[in-house]
Amino acid sequence: MTVLILTCEQDVTADMVLAELDANGVPVVRLDPADLPGPVALSGEYVRGAFRGHLSVAGRLVSMGGLRSVWVRRPGAPATHAAEPSDWLTEESAQALYGMLRSTDARWMNDPDAARRARHKPWQLSLAQRCSLPVPATLITTFPQAARDFAVRFPDLVVKPVSGAHPQEPPRAVPTSRVAPDTDFAAVAFGPTLLQRRVAKRADIRLTCVGDRLYAARKTVAPDADPDEVDVRFAASDTPWHAVDTPSSVAAGVRAYLREAGLAFGAFDFAEDADGMWWFLECNQSGQFGFVQIETGQPIAAAVADWLAAPNPAGTQSNGSRSWAIEGH
Amino acid sequence: MRPFALNYARPAQQLEVSVPYAYDSRLQLNVLPDGRLAAHDYAVLRELGSTTSTAGSKTHFDD
Repeated sequence: MTVLILTCEQDVTADMVLAELDANGVPVVRLDPADLPGPVALSGEYVRGAFRGHLSVAGRLVSMGGLRSVWVRRPGAPATHAAEPSDWLTEESAQALYGMLRSTDARWMNDPDAARRARHKPWQLSLAQRCSLPVPATLITTFPQAARDFAVRFPDLVVKPVSGAHPQEPPRAVPTSRVAPDTDFAAVAFGPTLLQRRVAKRADIRLTCVGDRLYAARKTVAPDADPDEVDVRFAASDTPWHAVDTPSSVAAGVRAYLREAGLAFGAFDFAEDADGMWWFLECNQSGQFGFVQIETGQPIAAAVADWLAAPNPAGTQSNGSRSWAIEGH
Repeated sequence: MRPFALNYARPAQQLEVSVPYAYDSRLQLNVLPDGRLAAHDYAVLRELGSTTSTAGSKTHFDD
């Protein structure tokens, strides 16, 4: 049984996991959907009540029925490396690839439907509340007056993108930023705006969850840190991440969150306040973890490899062992 | 007509950096010029930020 990794070639975090699988003798096929069609080829037939599908890349041929798991890591959009790319070809290729993969019994990290839903930050906040994870007071609105009223109730606010996405034309980044007390909120009418009570944090927490395994890392905010630099991704800091225990209430909350979300992997961001409370900020369903392993020594790549290599409780499809050759490969 | 959140935008950092490793399709791994696996050289990965949570990535924002 083979592990399929969907990611781009440059993804060295995937390398960390693949090296673990190699060391354990687990068969792996790695491909980037951007290379379909071309270096990546596929074929599947639905005949006499059964599905038989195959994938080919770089001389490797794998039966889709022989897949034990699929790791959706950093895949490119299908067909974007094609000789004549187009939106139509991307959709055709995506339907073919992901539709066939979903015809198998392979386990997913993460299931594409669950992943799509999990990217919605407003949904994340709601789910975190239901799972008893503390969530800072948050407003998402296009009403300027609602923003003004919220700023009266919570004078110390930050603003962040609702989607987490950043404008590309031209390329810009929108870090989580403090909102000045005398801010004019008129422009809230021009786009949904997420305002959140700022957590006066003493540390950032990254909690990486792989199945049932939890790996918490903490990065202390320096005493002389600029209070306006609230986004850890942009703050200049030499403070390392180090491993910490996960409070039992948080562990219960994130496990419930992942169960409800249908996710096998999640990288949670929390802000730790002066009382030691972890405030939920977001859950990245495909979050980076290599930097945490490098700084803390936590065996996260091995945990991902273990999850991917675990036996599939659904069992092997009857057509999983068929050997098949594609002309030209 | 600029959305409120874009008042806080800043130029994205140039993320395209030259890396000292290359993808080996036979191994399905990135390899350094001396043949070692890039994934095992934490000093290189740390220096390049190759495995770090980034903001403003063109293709992936949920990291």
